[in-house]
Amino acid sequence: MRQRITHLLPQGTSIDPSAIKVTDDGLDFDDVELAAEERRITIGLKQLPEEIQAFLEDFHELHIRIASVLNHPTFSPAVSRLPPGLHAFFTPRAANADTGLCDGLKKILGESVKCSNSSESFVKPPILSERFAASSTYQFYHSPLDLAVVSEVLKTGVCAKLDEDSTLRTLCETLAETSSATQVDYDFDVISHAVTVTILWPPVDRKGISRSRIAAKKLEPEDRLEVGILSPEKADEPEELSMGGYLTVLGEDERPSLHPKLTLSLPASTLQPPKQSCALHAYWTLPTALFIDPYQLSDPLFLASQNLLALRSLAGAQDLEAPDWAIPYPWGSAALFELATPSNTTSDEIWTITIPTHLRYLNSTLAINSQTPLAIPWPTVFWACEAEEGLKFATNPFDRVDLGFEGLFGPRTMFYHVPADEKVDKLVELLWVPVLERGSEGWVGVGTLLAVLVGFAWVCWRLVRGGGGKGVEGKKER
Amino acid sequence: MTTTTPSPGPWHPLIIFPFAIALRAILLIYGRWQDTHSPFKYTDIDYLVFTDAARFVSQYRSPYDRATYRYTPLLAWILYPTTWGGWWFEFGKGVFAVGDVVTGAMIWWILRRHFGMDVRRAGQFASIWLLNPMVANISTRGSSEGLLAVLVVALLWAGLERRAGVAGALLGFGVHFKIYPFVYAAGFWWWFGERRRSVVEELNDVLGMVTRERGKLVGASAGTFMVFNVGMWYCYGMPFVEHSYTYHLTRIDHRHNFSVYNTMLHLSSLAGGEGGFKVESLAFIPQLFLSVLAIPALLAKTDLASTMLAQTFAFVTFNKVCTSQYFLWYMVFLPFYLPFSTLLKKPRTGITALVLWVAGQALWLQQGYELEFNGQSTFVPGLWFTSVVFFLVNCWILGIVVDDVKSRGRDVVADHPAESKKDR
Repeated sequence: MRQRITHLLPQGTSIDPSAIKVTDDGLDFDDVELAAEERRITIGLKQLPEEIQAFLEDFHELHIRIASVLNHPTFSPAVSRLPPGLHAFFTPRAANADTGLCDGLKKILGESVKCSNSSESFVKPPILSERFAASSTYQFYHSPLDLAVVSEVLKTGVCAKLDEDSTLRTLCETLAETSSATQVDYDFDVISHAVTVTILWPPVDRKGISRSRIAAKKLEPEDRLEVGILSPEKADEPEELSMGGYLTVLGEDERPSLHPKLTLSLPASTLQPPKQSCALHAYWTLPTALFIDPYQLSDPLFLASQNLLALRSLAGAQDLEAPDWAIPYPWGSAALFELATPSNTTSDEIWTITIPTHLRYLNSTLAINSQTPLAIPWPTVFWACEAEEGLKFATNPFDRVDLGFEGLFGPRTMFYHVPADEKVDKLVELLWVPVLERGSEGWVGVGTLLAVLVGFAWVCWRLVRGGGGKGVEGKKER
Repeated sequence: MTTTTPSPGPWHPLIIFPFAIALRAILLIYGRWQDTHSPFKYTDIDYLVFTDAARFVSQYRSPYDRATYRYTPLLAWILYPTTWGGWWFEFGKGVFAVGDVVTGAMIWWILRRHFGMDVRRAGQFASIWLLNPMVANISTRGSSEGLLAVLVVALLWAGLERRAGVAGALLGFGVHFKIYPFVYAAGFWWWFGERRRSVVEELNDVLGMVTRERGKLVGASAGTFMVFNVGMWYCYGMPFVEHSYTYHLTRIDHRHNFSVYNTMLHLSSLAGGEGGFKVESLAFIPQLFLSVLAIPALLAKTDLASTMLAQTFAFVTFNKVCTSQYFLWYMVFLPFYLPFSTLLKKPRTGITALVLWVAGQALWLQQGYELEFNGQSTFVPGLWFTSVVFFLVNCWILGIVVDDVKSRGRDVVADHPAESKKDR
């Protein structure tokens, strides 16, 4: 087992090396509260409980990424982003084979998860790039859920079953403490024969409350533990030029409709591309309740009117007619948009991009005034830049791949993520959707039946009525 | 009715036809302009479905590769020139608009030849279709109903000319093109029987029902229908059968529409498998009883055109899905029915019917707008109640139509026992 703990400080923070104290629980220094903390734990497959080993046997690779809905500042190099929620990317051991993933997801997220054990019930995003030809085959996404839910399931469902005082129990409890994290990644692949868990905790949260710290301790004497402090120097890297943050609004004006529009607002002055070859993109994972109509987004005039350049990729549930309850799987869809940028980036104006979506009819068990809440994650916004010829992609120990969209870009692409406006708390939009509530079946059924019978009887009576009044009248008029 | 022929005035075909053509040409050009200059399109979404399918066909692919293409592949083939780019994109709308005008011409011709109208009256009544802005709008936006109208009016013409083989072929092709014309099969069955025998008499002599004309009708319609289906199935396999036919039997598309059953279907679909037997699965009984059994049996021998109107009206009114383009299906028969209808003879009834029909839709549309664009949950009672009101209005109008055809039957039998109505 290996652990790597890195304290990430905001750029420009100076650290006095003499102020760093090595304690039993790791490192302590003056600005420790200001630092984000990344903890990476690598566990050999053999060290895992048999149940989990058996579960992983189905996979060639499996990546689970949980992104918090809370908007935390990010520090280089941990800057990559995903829409809030639970993401899973996997390749089964044998092509198209069944896996136990869906059963596992249902244990954590409840029975309503849209999947089956067949791999085909997951979304297979297109792979357009050779560089990421090794990207996972299938994708899963579950719209914003709190990390706390996963923690709770871990604590009661998994940890409690492990022997007290065992290493695994301690590890499991560490993982269960992740409810305050920004993101938690679980990565497994056959070749490395190990599971890597990467947790990123934010610095002190915006309300000034510091999180409980987990001691940096070896779990077993022979473990390896690395601890470090990282404060990025002012570099000439293009991402340092960026980024003003963006705001998003769903349902635009206060009248939500069955065709909500997502609005991305970015200060024009921050939309200077890091390099000339860069293009601004948005990557969005949507639950089945919402869908994007690719045909509507194929007209250049319409795209331009929304400040979109193109819908580059759309994978997953695309049925344009079916209600939500008629789609048992896949879980929804993933879309990649190329966004237009303003020609004038010197002005103070706000650059607005809208993404039109359409709602399906929903089957709601929870409705208030015939409206049901729907949580929609914010998309991630990033620049994708072509790397210069001859540039070698050095292996970066903080690099995070398998985020769902790399396979959609060319072989030599660098991504610069645009953070959300730091004033915003949560990266999720709540939408109130009109629904037809159950419970009116009785009188609607009776009323409809009655109306049909009355209408039907009226027409029948007109049909069979003998030489009645009107006929004679008609004749007289002649 | 006067015997002197009044001057056609502005209703001369040399005026109304150029006018109808110009109306469509202007709408076509205007639509092109709006499409290229505005993000809000004049072109109907269905037209994009057709032209996408045509593009797939031009690449030797299946038109069913385009999501929501649920039509015969012939439509995609007809629109092949739209793949040539530029103004050719409008080719299909042009074809549909030409279909419209040809339909109008056939209506005019039938009114002259079979309804014995003078040029003026024929021009006036044909204009209900030819100069109808709704009709011109729908076809120039790229809805294929215009082509269907040609088929249906040609079918009527074949019936009135008593050409059973031609009628059968048109009927078979019409059902292949869009399922609903199958209801006309029943009307034509009775129409091609012996004119003097009532339906009751015929039913008492089942063997005597089989006549040469009916044989031709059934043979030609079944043959044409199967030839096209087998041909298309050979080209595109099961997706053709699924999208053209079985989809319509199993569709679970509950987006709000005018149908009186809509709310009930929505609710029962929400309930899923629970609840056992579903009353709405019997919705086809009143619909088919009226449109296939009762109306054709009791009215077809009297007046084929108005029977077709009543059948279509009943089919659309009692259907499980109903949108405004379905109204075009029966509108094409209005020029044949209105001349002797109570709706024109008693302007009060006529205006009441028109106002109620429009108001019924307007009320529903207002509720639909609140749901669709203001996010108000108007499913119940709003949308449900207005759809019931609209349904009852339609039933009332259908009752008037049925009544009119029946009383006309008595008149015609009394006045003109002869075979042809030409000299009427």
